[in-house]
Amino acid sequence: MKTTNNIHEKINSTLSVCDTIGDVKVSPFFKDKTMQRLFEEKEEETVYSSWFATKLQLATLLCFVVLNALALIRLNSTNKYDVNVNESTNLYGLFYDSETSILINLKDE
Amino acid sequence: MEEEKFIQELKDGKKFAYSKLIELFEQKVFTTCISFVPNKEDAEDIAQEVFVEVFKSINKFKENSKLSTWIYRITTNKCLEFIRKKNTKKRFAFLQSILGNEIPFDKTQYFTEMNHPGILLENQEQSEILFKAINKLPEDQRVVFTLSKIDGFSNKEISEITNKSVSSVESLMFRSKKNLKKLLENFYKKNM
Repeated sequence: MKTTNNIHEKINSTLSVCDTIGDVKVSPFFKDKTMQRLFEEKEEETVYSSWFATKLQLATLLCFVVLNALALIRLNSTNKYDVNVNESTNLYGLFYDSETSILINLKDE
Repeated sequence: MEEEKFIQELKDGKKFAYSKLIELFEQKVFTTCISFVPNKEDAEDIAQEVFVEVFKSINKFKENSKLSTWIYRITTNKCLEFIRKKNTKKRFAFLQSILGNEIPFDKTQYFTEMNHPGILLENQEQSEILFKAINKLPEDQRVVFTLSKIDGFSNKEISEITNKSVSSVESLMFRSKKNLKKLLENFYKKNM
């Protein structure tokens, strides 16, 4: 019985410790340290983002892809054009070279 | 209106606004941190993390609650995150010790290594026992008990911080006290 009472007393006194906990002041340098940390991170971020923003980066990438695609298409169509010209010159006995074509014409005459 | 203007300045990343914010909240945030984590250095690190989080997430703040409530919510979450990490590390160290790797390990190390300048020397032992018991409570009970009994928030404030109704805060408070008494009873029965 005595032990139970003792235990209950101890429990109550342990729980009452909550009321005796005093205030603890934050370190006087806390504000400076935190401000430094906050704005260090921001400055690092702005080095990249100030002029070359994410939207601009995406737009640049898109331009690059479009220009490359156009160049490829154009290259393919130029090849087709050359092939067509070659085919037609062979077919009709015509050549690019003006000297050769003159010679051929002279021979024919 | 005044708060709205202040929040807008924070969203714009104005340095003077953050300076004012830290001045206004540093003590209260730190006090909440040291209530959950009774170690001055760790509490300061967590408090700093709170302001970094505010800085990063201020644009996500929808202004459904007061700025102070939002900041205390972040503080509580950061403290719980810290405690969870510490407990995981302890579990990992325990596994390592089972597997035979030599890691110096003390099960109760973190919550008995108290460095709380607000605790009187004659209460040091009892405080250690109390904080160990609080750490054994389920998370929601631990939060409500700490915010109420150690940090001194009212039930209404706790309900806003934890996004719970006042009645459920009261019920959690009742259960936490009951469980704490049980935990302390077991402890004293073993150590009498």
